[in-house]
Amino acid sequence: MASVAERAVLEEEFKWLLQEEVHAVLKQLQDILKEASRRLTLPVSGSGGAVKQENFVLSTAGTDQVKGVLTLQGDALCQADINLKMPRNNQLLHFAFREDKQWKLQQIQDARNHVNQAIYLLMNRDVNYQFKTGLEVLKLMDAVMLQLSRARNRLTTPATLTLPEIASSGLTKMFTPALPPDILVNFYINLNKLCLTVYQLHVLQPSTTKNFKPAGGSILHNPGAMFEFGNQRYEVSHVHKVECVVPWLNDALVFFTVSLQLCQQLKDKVMALEKGLCF
Amino acid sequence: MAGNSLVLPIVLWGRKAPTHCISTLLLMEDTSMIVTGCHDGQICLWDLSLDLEINPRALLFGHTASITCLSKASASSEKQYIVSASEGGEMCLWDVNDGRCIEFTKLACTHTGIQFYQFTVGTQREGRLLCHGHYPEILVVDATSLEVLYSLLSKISPDWISSMTIIRSNRTQEDTVVAVSVTGILKVWIITSEVSRMQDTTPVFEEESKPIYCQNCQSVSFCAFTQRSLLVVCSKYWRVFDAGDYSLLCSVPSENDQTWTGGDFVSADKVIVWTEDGQSFIYKLPASCLPASDSFRRDVGKAVENLIPPLLYSVLDRADKQLLICPPVTRFFYGHREFSYKLLIQGDSSGRLCIWSVPDTLEQQDGAKGLQTTTSISLQEAFDKLTPRPAGIIDQLSLIPNINEPLRVTASVYIPAHGRLVCGREDGSIVIVPATQTAIVQLLQGEHMLRRGWPPHRTLRGHRNKITCLLYPHQVSARYDQRYLISGGVDFSVIIWDIFSGEMKHIFCVHGGEITQLLVPPENCSARVQHCICSVASDHSVGLLSLREKKCIMLASRHLFPIQVIKWRPSDDYLVVGCSDGSVYVWQMDTGALDRCVMGITAVEILNACDEAVPAAVDSLSHPAVNLKQAMTRRSLAALKNVAHQKLQTLATNLLASEASDKGNLPKYSHNSLMVQAIKTNLTDPDIHVLFFDVEALIIQLLTEEASRPNTALTSPENLQKASGGSDKGGSFLTGKRAAVLFQQVKETIKENIKEHLLDDEDEDEELGRQRREDCDPEYHSSKSKPLTLLEYNLTMDTAKLFMSCLHAWGLNSVLDELCLDRLGMLKPHCSVSFGLLSRGGHMSLMLPGYNQPVGKPSYDGVELGRKMSVTEGLGKGTYGVSRAVTTQHLLSVISLANTLMSMTNATFIGDHMKKGPTRPPRPGTPEMTKVKAPPSISTHAAQGQIKQGWSQLAAMHCVMLPDLLGLDKFRPPLLEMLARRWQDRCLEVREAAQALLLAELRRIEQAGRKETIDAWAPYLPQYIDSVISPGVTTEAIQTGSASPDSLGTEAKVQEEEHDLVDDDIAAGEH
Repeated sequence: MASVAERAVLEEEFKWLLQEEVHAVLKQLQDILKEASRRLTLPVSGSGGAVKQENFVLSTAGTDQVKGVLTLQGDALCQADINLKMPRNNQLLHFAFREDKQWKLQQIQDARNHVNQAIYLLMNRDVNYQFKTGLEVLKLMDAVMLQLSRARNRLTTPATLTLPEIASSGLTKMFTPALPPDILVNFYINLNKLCLTVYQLHVLQPSTTKNFKPAGGSILHNPGAMFEFGNQRYEVSHVHKVECVVPWLNDALVFFTVSLQLCQQLKDKVMALEKGLCF
Repeated sequence: MAGNSLVLPIVLWGRKAPTHCISTLLLMEDTSMIVTGCHDGQICLWDLSLDLEINPRALLFGHTASITCLSKASASSEKQYIVSASEGGEMCLWDVNDGRCIEFTKLACTHTGIQFYQFTVGTQREGRLLCHGHYPEILVVDATSLEVLYSLLSKISPDWISSMTIIRSNRTQEDTVVAVSVTGILKVWIITSEVSRMQDTTPVFEEESKPIYCQNCQSVSFCAFTQRSLLVVCSKYWRVFDAGDYSLLCSVPSENDQTWTGGDFVSADKVIVWTEDGQSFIYKLPASCLPASDSFRRDVGKAVENLIPPLLYSVLDRADKQLLICPPVTRFFYGHREFSYKLLIQGDSSGRLCIWSVPDTLEQQDGAKGLQTTTSISLQEAFDKLTPRPAGIIDQLSLIPNINEPLRVTASVYIPAHGRLVCGREDGSIVIVPATQTAIVQLLQGEHMLRRGWPPHRTLRGHRNKITCLLYPHQVSARYDQRYLISGGVDFSVIIWDIFSGEMKHIFCVHGGEITQLLVPPENCSARVQHCICSVASDHSVGLLSLREKKCIMLASRHLFPIQVIKWRPSDDYLVVGCSDGSVYVWQMDTGALDRCVMGITAVEILNACDEAVPAAVDSLSHPAVNLKQAMTRRSLAALKNVAHQKLQTLATNLLASEASDKGNLPKYSHNSLMVQAIKTNLTDPDIHVLFFDVEALIIQLLTEEASRPNTALTSPENLQKASGGSDKGGSFLTGKRAAVLFQQVKETIKENIKEHLLDDEDEDEELGRQRREDCDPEYHSSKSKPLTLLEYNLTMDTAKLFMSCLHAWGLNSVLDELCLDRLGMLKPHCSVSFGLLSRGGHMSLMLPGYNQPVGKPSYDGVELGRKMSVTEGLGKGTYGVSRAVTTQHLLSVISLANTLMSMTNATFIGDHMKKGPTRPPRPGTPEMTKVKAPPSISTHAAQGQIKQGWSQLAAMHCVMLPDLLGLDKFRPPLLEMLARRWQDRCLEVREAAQALLLAELRRIEQAGRKETIDAWAPYLPQYIDSVISPGVTTEAIQTGSASPDSLGTEAKVQEEEHDLVDDDIAAGEH
């Protein structure tokens, strides 16, 4: 049992926490998240001009089977220039996005929307708002943290897709010249990297003695994965994965992590003091 | 399979209503019910009377995260279906009549809004749900199967949809979906009957996409009165648009820094808009916004500042300015019942519902006064106004002088092997009580009410403050000493107790925060870890506490975020800690070294890999008393249900698997007719206790005990002879033989659904082994038979007594009631018992206390009257007026149990035999046993006959007389399809009850009803007879049919198959 004096000090501290410290943390959180959101929003160059485009060179360690340059405009891939060296005959294939097409990276948009929702929650509790109970703070922090962890998860855990899903996605129809039927491509974000995977397929003959077992959903399928698409059975023969680091994604991730920790620390402080007052 | 056995929950709520922080709400179209969803994932059903009185009826459990939206899911008035979606992407279809879960699914994405819409497909009307949420499209979902059919896509700047409305046009057949994206772009899709036929052929793109500059859009609503305008409410302003070309008619900014959260049209010229702090404002729109006016659209194109502002008409404010911890939810509903209604309903964080009835002719009032709340009630108020107050499981033991409220139970664990419930309370004391006895005190009237401190219990004191978790490790794994009970408290300590002696064995003080979880490591850990338990604390630390060495062998701390899940990789000696932010820490148990810390995909993969290595059942069963949210996430409740439901399978597998590990006394969940599960809807709430009664297990236990009686008519003389002969030779032989008799009996009862060979040898050997061990291990024996508390009682008979007393429809037949009380020893309930209903996938509905309080329902005036007379006389005549599914389950239970009891000797709940169990825990056949058995034989045949007659009358009343006695307005007849499914139930008694009930019900509904039933089901029947004659069938098929040597047999088979198919259909429809 806390003594009377001790209790008075605790109460005073709790009052300070609710009136001062919480708002200080919320302000700090807002600043950080606005930075994060700015990173994920279309960077507009100058006054109302064309949206800034950034080029990224794809690279892998070791082999040079796949080379390419990707052009990113906010959350949309507006250009992709891919050179693929076929392993069988060393033939060089070249594809690019059609002029009229661009591919939206849903992960970035989702992350941005989640951060904006978090900012909205914080803005509604600005300095003018008076927190009266610890519960209020906890409830707000829970809501903010939910959005933030969603935002971060969208970037750190790409969707697991099945091969037929990749084959039927609009991505295959984006290229000129058109992709040969034995090539599948997929773009995704993994942490701070923009990744491209190219699957080379070979058609399984109906007479084949191989045991057909369709592969489930995965971020990256391995050679040997089989699937059925359009009444035809395929097997993945080669997989190439190339990636490039997107600096602003890295920034955004760091901001997410820092703000999540800030939230948790505030929650821990509130809970510790509330517990202290209970005894 | 899961729905196959008959498990009935009874819930003891306690005086504190569960936390219900309302996140969304819905008024059913017939206005008979309000549905609310809360942040903890429960859904509450509130009855609403014509004069707007509200009474909470039931709480639905199943979602693991905050409810984001609710929508109706059927058009017809006879089916009351709603759909709910949660933050975690779960979607669930409920029948709100009885709280059954009809269908559920889980998507990766979260829905934030759902609208029901009926498409015309050919001549059929198909129900569809249009969903939007954290994805850039509108998903069209089938309203019965919850399958995603296709989606409405955006071509131009696709983004998440914040809100959406459906515009039904009377002029054209084209209905449109109008939605606003998070970036403030208005999008329009045309949904016609063609669209519904299109399924993943061509993508459906928007018709129109127009930026309307509405940031943070909260709601879009269409004016149902004029069908010409749209109201868009954003957080800082609201706007009215022309619904034809979406041009801006008027825009109003918020004042005093208020944040709008939604709005709707109240009439052709008025809108209502509400704020985040729960105030609502009614505005009269300017003439330029009214299609009826000449000046309609006159201001289109003018700058926003120059528009004529609407007139503030009225203010609706919250009656009590109680502090809210998060913004309330407000919705406006408009429609016709017996009269037209306009209701503004608000739900808030304290579980309170407020209703304002908005009058048609609204006088302009000065802003200060405003419109008064019509009705307001919170869940807690509904609990408080009841007499007697809703019972908690050990309330009678928790009352402290000078304090009104009993001490709260904050943690509990049930020990089925002893039938004891262990409750940790807020003052740090732990109480061990016989579960059925304490439940009888809470639920039933009897002489026990006069005794102080009844039932006998044991109190353990040691913690300085609230107990947060309890664990009985022996129940999870037999490797632990069965004396040990582990408790963790808010005072940071973990204590080992000896439950038999009541002494405190050791206190661990290793954590720096309150203990949040106590877990048991899996079987294949290292020998040292095997004798540890794992404790998790709120300072984000995990400890391995050795019960043998009495010290902490590893403490993994400094996790940045709260610990969400503990997993094991015993083969690598790893302890895997999953934190709430998605990070995973891998610790080496032996050295205490942090092996690695990962995030993202790798973290997910590591957690998944642990699941593959460890059988799920071990993991999920190890925490019997976690809060519901956790239980649901880990499907521990589902696991519990599995245990309760598929106990026969478990029995079989246990017997096989346990052979090696079984140290003679494996906890047999499988045998338990009663399971007590403590649940918390919110971590800060006290425990709610749910008693799960497994009817089948109870029947088996009753029969087993009957068969084990030496002087029963059921046991053959041969067996009797053997048994008595064996008693001279020694206990081991006797018990072995007895076990064989028991299992023979059990097997006869089980019959189906269990592979005979599983039960054939192993079980007997196992049972024999168990007995042998008991005999040769004196220490073991003594520790086992040592009573936990002073009171020894017959658990099975007590369970039956409690259950039958709760099920019986009291007050319908006074002669029978007398007989039940005097001869059969049943007791009357204090008030209506809160039953529950289990449905698919661990979903559960629990009736709230006072669920049958009159809500202005004229048919219930009897109850009202009864309450005035006396609480006992008026109580609701059983639960047969709740819903058809509930009636079916309860009638099946009461009839099958009554029949079972009728077949037993001396099956009354009064007398000495209630004091001691014939088979367990003390071993039967011992001299004292026979002494106990002796008195019943004195009882005359006449008395026996009366008892048997009593049970038979009880069964008969429930089987056939109930509809007449109750009157059809208070009786919901049983569901034929549910009864038909049990026509061949694996449990003979349930089967017979189902058959009798089905026949009685068919007789009751008479020819017209029977014809209706046949007509209803006919389309689902496979047409075997036709196929034989039809030319489409290949001759081979006919030949094989007729050529088979026993054509008669095939025909029978075909019929059987037909029967099965029908069953499946029913299963699909009924779930």
